[in-house]
Amino acid sequence: MIGLSHYLVLSGLVFSVGLVGVLRRRNLLMLFFATEIMLNAANIAFAAVSYYYNDLTGQMFAFFIIAVAASEVAVGLGLLIVLYKKFGTLNLDDLASMKG
Amino acid sequence: MDNILSVLIFFPAIAGLLGFVVDKSSARVYGISVATVELLLAIWLWMSFDGTNAGMQFIELIPLVPDFGINYYVGVDGISLFIVVMAALMTLLGMIGMSIEKDIKNMIISLLFLEMTMIGVFVALDAIVFYLFWELSLVPMLYIIGAWGGPLRIYASIKFFLYTFTGSLIMLVGLLFMAYLYQSVSGVWSFSITDWYALVLPVDYQIWLFLALFAGFAIKVPMFPFHTWLPYAHGQAPTIGSVILAAVLLKMGTYGFVRFSLPLFPDASVIMIPFITVIAVIMIIYTAMIAYAQEDIKQVIAYSSVSHMGVIVLGTFAMNAEGISGSIFLMLSHGIVSGALFMLVGVIYDRRGTKMMSEFGGLASVMPKYALIFGIMLMASVGLPLTIGFVGEFLVLLGFYSISPIATILAGTTIILGAVYMLRLYKRTFFGPITNEKNENLPDLNGRELTALVPLVAIVIWLGVYPKPVLEPIDTSVKALISFMHEKAQTAEAKETIILSKTIKEAK
Amino acid sequence: MEKFVYIALFAPLVGSLFAALFGMTPKKTFIGVISSLLLATSFVASAILATYVVQTGHGIHVTMMDWISAGDLDIPFGFVVDQISVTMMVVVTLVSTVVHIYSIGYMDHDKSFNRFFSYLSAFVFSMLILVMSDNFAGLFIGWEGVGVCSWLLIGFWYHKPDESPDVNPSISPSWAANEAFIVNRIADLAMLVGIFVLYWSTGSLQYDVVFPALPYLDDAILTTAAIALFIGAMGKSAQFPLHTWLTDAMEGPTPVSALIHAATMVTAGVFLVIRANPLYSMPEVSEVSFFIASLGTFVAFFAASMALIERDLKRIIAYSTLSQLGYMFAAAGLGAYWIALFHLAAHAFFKALLFLGAGNVMHAMHDELDIFKMGGLKRVMRGTYLYMGIASIALAGIPPFAGFFSKDAIIETAFNEGTLVLWTILVVTAGMTAFYSFRQVFLTFDGNERYKEFNIHPHEMYKFVLIAMSPLALLAMIAGFFQEEFHKFITTSLEIMPNYEMSHHTHELALYLGILVLIFAIGGILLAYKKYANGLVRNEKVENSFIYQLLKNQYYIPAFYAEFISKPYALISTMLWKSVDMKIVDATVDGIANMFYKGGDNTRKMQTGNLSNYLNWMAVGLVIMLLVATIYTLKA
Repeated sequence: MIGLSHYLVLSGLVFSVGLVGVLRRRNLLMLFFATEIMLNAANIAFAAVSYYYNDLTGQMFAFFIIAVAASEVAVGLGLLIVLYKKFGTLNLDDLASMKG
Repeated sequence: MDNILSVLIFFPAIAGLLGFVVDKSSARVYGISVATVELLLAIWLWMSFDGTNAGMQFIELIPLVPDFGINYYVGVDGISLFIVVMAALMTLLGMIGMSIEKDIKNMIISLLFLEMTMIGVFVALDAIVFYLFWELSLVPMLYIIGAWGGPLRIYASIKFFLYTFTGSLIMLVGLLFMAYLYQSVSGVWSFSITDWYALVLPVDYQIWLFLALFAGFAIKVPMFPFHTWLPYAHGQAPTIGSVILAAVLLKMGTYGFVRFSLPLFPDASVIMIPFITVIAVIMIIYTAMIAYAQEDIKQVIAYSSVSHMGVIVLGTFAMNAEGISGSIFLMLSHGIVSGALFMLVGVIYDRRGTKMMSEFGGLASVMPKYALIFGIMLMASVGLPLTIGFVGEFLVLLGFYSISPIATILAGTTIILGAVYMLRLYKRTFFGPITNEKNENLPDLNGRELTALVPLVAIVIWLGVYPKPVLEPIDTSVKALISFMHEKAQTAEAKETIILSKTIKEAK
Repeated sequence: MEKFVYIALFAPLVGSLFAALFGMTPKKTFIGVISSLLLATSFVASAILATYVVQTGHGIHVTMMDWISAGDLDIPFGFVVDQISVTMMVVVTLVSTVVHIYSIGYMDHDKSFNRFFSYLSAFVFSMLILVMSDNFAGLFIGWEGVGVCSWLLIGFWYHKPDESPDVNPSISPSWAANEAFIVNRIADLAMLVGIFVLYWSTGSLQYDVVFPALPYLDDAILTTAAIALFIGAMGKSAQFPLHTWLTDAMEGPTPVSALIHAATMVTAGVFLVIRANPLYSMPEVSEVSFFIASLGTFVAFFAASMALIERDLKRIIAYSTLSQLGYMFAAAGLGAYWIALFHLAAHAFFKALLFLGAGNVMHAMHDELDIFKMGGLKRVMRGTYLYMGIASIALAGIPPFAGFFSKDAIIETAFNEGTLVLWTILVVTAGMTAFYSFRQVFLTFDGNERYKEFNIHPHEMYKFVLIAMSPLALLAMIAGFFQEEFHKFITTSLEIMPNYEMSHHTHELALYLGILVLIFAIGGILLAYKKYANGLVRNEKVENSFIYQLLKNQYYIPAFYAEFISKPYALISTMLWKSVDMKIVDATVDGIANMFYKGGDNTRKMQTGNLSNYLNWMAVGLVIMLLVATIYTLKA
């Protein structure tokens, strides 16, 4: 029987994959993917907990997150394109113009 | 005119805003006219003030943030009334005596804003309003020191700002916690000081709150060892900045003790007496000695300010009407006298571009009027009877004698050490032959300087001979404060220390 | 009668303010005349008041207005004219009037003539406040007021430069002025303490409240008050160890020395002890009173010893003033207050005369004060010689001049009290007094004309000046005859002034005692005559001896003060400023500020601009926060 804990473990694993991606990746696009993965990990957890507690709020939140993630990707990718046009790269090591 | 206090606060500010459209050439005249009107208003306030009434008068209350009990709440009593008048007076005389030509318009506007904040601090009865004016007063002063000061002006102004600001932030935390305590006891939010007075706090809370407020006040006074910003600020500030700083801004600290610490935390105040006494005595003796070592005339007066502020602090904690009334009177007299002394140093600086004693000598021969006025102010500064300086100093020492004879004797050395550094200054600057030929043809005081200084001389003598018009309203309010503290005090020790009326020693 | 009180008090103030109006303008003789007239008015009013007090036997008490009132403290400007104060008023105004008139002549060529009269009249006003006040705070006003006037007048010739102590022991007028003011301030602090003690134990500063309350006070309080007030008196009356300022004060113009540093201000300390006699005659403070008498006796001898070898004319007289003040304190300490007051008055007359005579000499000798450079002056200055002679006879205590009666009474008191040690010292001192007084007279006026070597052409003072001095000469001669009348008058009201009578035993021996003192005095004069009347013979061996050097250097006390008080104070002050205030206190503040600054500077490196690094930091932060949260959850 697959229980809540399985879902949460899955969510945790997916989140970790995302986190490692955020930490290790140097390419901005890849960072975006990693964040999307993390968001979806949260979605899994929300949906699972919602089902488990018989409370629709969690699933509602999952939809919200999907909506927010979509709009974020839309704006974010737009920005990335502008950035790429300006600098010719999306490698973070080459984009360190805010060095203090 | 019920809203005279609001007029007093905001008239200079509005006039300051309008000052931006005034032509540069007429800026000085404009500023002086505004300050004159303000002084007349302040005197009108004094005249319509009921000296027999110990409570707050001319109260105005406009809710600002009702949910948190923050109100625009102002009023004056005998304690604050004369400091307000003095602030208006010193701003006016400072402007008249000012010799600055550079960016005169900006200077006038800064001074008018500064005047608003100074008056605001002394009439505010709401902790938030008080805090706002308290902090706002830093801004014009920062600008005055930073823009018109000497070579180290940036360092001095930033030091002044950050140092006092740090203290005030701790004070703010104290004030917020006080409001929180009030809310938890009474169930409603209030930042009104008069509401807070009713709150009886446990002694340990009192001590912590006392210390939090102490941080703000002590740095402002400035008390040893937090005084080192002052010599820099005075050393670098233009004359007008020093005058206002010494005459009014320093008084905010000691006024804070009287308005907040004493009535809010009577038990903690009594417990803190030994601590305060030690600091005050160190302040008096230590800075008087340092003043003796100075070569720069202005630094002598700057350090002497600290020394005299020590006497004021001591009087505040005398816990009897003689001492506290004396302390408030001394705030006024120190304001007048040190303001005048800084103006006098400015006079010589304008002429010679230096303030070092070694550059002078024998000035009494070439500038007799200047020597005369300096002499009178010197005597007032060392507390000669029949000058303004004696009344406060005498009352403070007299009052504190009932707390600690030893500390009074130590603090009383101020009359010796004060004479030592002031007379040395006077001898080196004014007496002896004229050693530096640059001084041989120095012009004596001109009309502008005399206009600024003669009223101060008149006040020094008038209030020295007949202090009653000022002392009486102060005393009425102070007596009410003392009996209130006595009522409110919880520990037996505090009840005993706060003396309602002198107890004649038992017959043997 | 009240109006005479105000006339007596305020006439000098009016004179002072009037002269002050012209303070910065060139000399105007009428300023001096008007000031003198106003002083004379004050004297007449005082005399009328004195007659009134003599006739009615009771004093006048007026309250002009409130001064300070705070808490329970209430100090009015109140004035009391009773036997004690009226005596002082008459003495002060009389001597002041003479000195004012004298100064018109003496300050003739001074460019600050007007300013001088302004200060001088202001001094008289302060002195009158001091003696007339009906409370301790009012007394303190006068006390400090005379201090400031003394400062102004000692430093009157402020333009003179500092010199080394070897050349001029007073260094400079401005230096001497500052010294006088500061030393007096030390004593004033003690006096303030005395005032505080009395206030907190009696609740008032009015004499008529404080004195009746004294019997109900603790011993400790009484003793503290008595000691503290006496230290105040020591400063003003220049008693050891606060005496150095008085001889240095001779830097002031001579009329000032006559008025302030001989006749009036320096006696304020004695006046205070006399005024506070209810306190000092309490049996609980008898030790303090005895200490006063002993210190007075010591100072009488101590000062006389330094006068023996002094060469500066004014300094000799200054030492003799110190010595006579010692006599007064001896009398007051032994309870003979009226005798002290009598000597105070008699001393004021002959000492002022002596100083004014010295002024004439100085004027004649073009400010030369070394008596070794004078001699034979009697041939050109007959009048002055006569006056100085009279004053010196009075000072030496030769009957029938004033000094004999007053000083003899003090010596008799010492005998009467059984304090034979004090008595012996006082008798010996009387001999020394006679010696140094006549040493100075003979060296100045007799013998060979040594001044001729220095190309000085002395001339006698203006006639009107000599005439103005005559009242003092007359009083120096005859004041002694009024001893009994004075005794009766002053002790009319025993509450104000307790009586003091010699015991029967002393009375019987009085004649022999008087003769003994006289023998000493005459012996002193004869010795001086033998040594100095026929010219100066200097003895190198004596002048190089240890004792001579010791006396010449004033027992090395000024040097001691300079080495062990002034210099260390300056050193410590500089050290506190440079090492403590700048290096510790301020450096700590800057250190804290620098800590934040450096911290910011170091952590700035974290901001690489690399988003990836930031995210790593964020993750680290997140982990830490999670850990903290977990730990706290587990704990709870």
